[in-house]
Amino acid sequence: MDFYYGLLQIIGMHTILGLSAYIVLLTGQVTLAQAGFFAIGAYIAGMLTVLAGWHLVPSMLVAAVVSGTVACLVGFPALRIKGLMLVVATMAFGEAVRLFWFNFDYQRSKGEALVGPLGGEGFKQIRYFPENGWTTGEVATFVWIWVALIMAALWWIDRSRAGAVLRAVGEDELAAQSVGINLTAVKVTAFAVGGFIAGIGGAIYAHYTTHIEHSNFGVILATFAIAYPILGGLTNVVGTLLAVIFIQGFLVEGLRFLGDWRNLLFGALIVLAMNVRPRGLIDERAMLFLRRMFGLAKRGTNA
Amino acid sequence: MDLVDFVQSITDGLLFGATYALIGIGFTMIFGVMHKINLAYAATSIAGAYVSWAVGTLLPLPALVTFVVAAIGGGIVGYLVYLCCFKFIPVTSPLATLLGTVGMLILIDEIIVHETNGMPQPYPALFDDVYFEIGEFYGIRGDLLFIFFLSLIATAILLYILYRTKLGIATRAVAQQPVAAQLCGISIERTNASTFVITGLLGGLAGAMIGASVGVLSPLLTLPITIKGLIVTVIGGLGSIPGAIIAGLLVGAFENFFQALRGVTERDMYVMLLLFAFLTFRPGGIFSKTTSRD
Repeated sequence: MDFYYGLLQIIGMHTILGLSAYIVLLTGQVTLAQAGFFAIGAYIAGMLTVLAGWHLVPSMLVAAVVSGTVACLVGFPALRIKGLMLVVATMAFGEAVRLFWFNFDYQRSKGEALVGPLGGEGFKQIRYFPENGWTTGEVATFVWIWVALIMAALWWIDRSRAGAVLRAVGEDELAAQSVGINLTAVKVTAFAVGGFIAGIGGAIYAHYTTHIEHSNFGVILATFAIAYPILGGLTNVVGTLLAVIFIQGFLVEGLRFLGDWRNLLFGALIVLAMNVRPRGLIDERAMLFLRRMFGLAKRGTNA
Repeated sequence: MDLVDFVQSITDGLLFGATYALIGIGFTMIFGVMHKINLAYAATSIAGAYVSWAVGTLLPLPALVTFVVAAIGGGIVGYLVYLCCFKFIPVTSPLATLLGTVGMLILIDEIIVHETNGMPQPYPALFDDVYFEIGEFYGIRGDLLFIFFLSLIATAILLYILYRTKLGIATRAVAQQPVAAQLCGISIERTNASTFVITGLLGGLAGAMIGASVGVLSPLLTLPITIKGLIVTVIGGLGSIPGAIIAGLLVGAFENFFQALRGVTERDMYVMLLLFAFLTFRPGGIFSKTTSRD
C-alpha cells in the first residue's frame, strides 16, 4: 500500500509543478524557469523547518511567497522578450538558480550533527514527516489537499474574467493590447503566480524526498514542468493532471516491467503523442465531446 | 592569476569555442528557416559522433574519416528529427513541435545509453601529441588548433552553400519570406528538410570535434551542449550566422577564463550572467536585425 501512497505523492507533486507552468503557458509564454522556482521553494521550506524549526504549512507559504517574489522580479526584465529568447532566458535563470544552490553552504549544528544545505552534497535530513510521525497515507492526503486547492483556484481563475484576459494575451498579443490589456502586467502576474505555485510544489518535494541536491532541479525537470500542460492540453487544468498520470503513473511506473526499454519508449511515446494530438490530450474538440456527453452544452454551441 | 595563465586560458577557450560556434550555427539556421526551436539539435550532433564511434568499433577507420562519418551520421539523424517532430505537426501548434523535440532529445539520449550501457566511450583525438610552443611560456594544443581550423573550413563551406548555390538561395528565400518563396516555386517542405540535413551534417562534425577534444563521448554531454548552443544563438542574434560564430568564440573564451579564475563549479554561472547582460543591454544579440520576429 505504501507504494501506491508514494506514487500518489509523486503524481501530486508533479501536478503542482505542471500547474505552475500551465498558468504561464496560458499567456503564450514558454518558460523553463519552473525548476528554479521549485528549487527555491524546496530549499527555503527545508531550511525553515529544519534550521528554524517552523511548522510545515507556514514555511511552505513563506517559501512560496519568496519564489513568487523572485518570479515577479525576474519577470519584469525577462518578459520583455518572447519566443526562443524567453525560452533561453528562463532556462538560463533556472540554471543560475541551480548553480546558486550548488555553491551555497549554510550549516548549523543541531544536536550532534550538522544540518543545512552543503553545496554539491545537497541538503540532507529534511525529516519533518518522520519526526512528527506522519504516515505515508497522511502525507499523500496532505499533498492532494494542496493539489485540490491549487486546481480549484486555477479552475476558478480560468472561468473568471482574469482567465479570459490570460487567454486573450496567449492567443493574440496585438489584439489583446488593442482592447486595453496591459501585456506586461498580465504576463508578470501569471509568472509570479506560477512561481508561487512552483514554490509550494518544491516545498512539498523537499519534505517528501528528505534529501535535495542541485542536480534534482535541472533542465530536465523544467522541461517536464512544461511538458505536462502541453501534453495534457491547455484547455483545462484536468488535462495537466491526466498528462502527469500518463507520464508518471503509466510511462514511469506502469512500464517498469519493461526494464531498460521503458526509457526508450518514453521519448518515443512523447514524440508520437505530439504527432497524433498536437493540441494536447484534452483539446477543444475533446472538451466539446465530453460536455455533450454529460449534457452540459447544447448541441451546436462552440465549446 | 598572472598574465600567462590569463592569455593561455583565453586562447584554449577560443579554440574550443569553435565547436560552440558550429552548434550555435545549427540552432540559428533552423530557427531562421522555420522560426521554430529544435531542442534535439545538440543530441543530433552527439548522435552523429556516436555513429562514427560505432562504425569505428566495427572497422578501424583513419581518424580523419571518423569526422566525415560523424557528419554523415548527424545528417541522417537530423533528417529523422525533421520527420518525427516537424513534418507532420501542424504549423499552428508550435508548442507541440517544441515538446516533440524534447521527446526526441530524450529518445536519442536513451538509445545511446541503451547501446553503450551508459558507459562513456573513448573517442580518437587528432594531433593530440602535437604542442606548439610559443615563446617561453605559451603553448597551443595541436588538437584544439586542428578543431579550430576544421570548424573554420566547415563554416566556409556552409557560407558558400548558402550564398553561392541555388539550394542556398532557396533556403534564404524561405527564411525571409516563406509565402513569396513558395510563389516563386520553391518547395518549403524540401527546403526545411534540406536545412535539417545540412545542420545535421554540421552538428555531427561538431559532435565529433567535442568528442575528440574532450577525449570521451557520453550521453551526459547533450544537455550542457544544448544549453551552451542556445545561449550562443541568443547572444549572437537569432538567425544570424556571423553572430553565432562570434558568440561561440566569445562564450568559449569567457567560460574557460572563469573556469581558470573561479573553478569549474562556478564557471557556468558567469556564462549565464553574460547572457543576462546581453538580454538586458542588447536583447537582439550582437547582430540584431532592426525588425525582429519572435
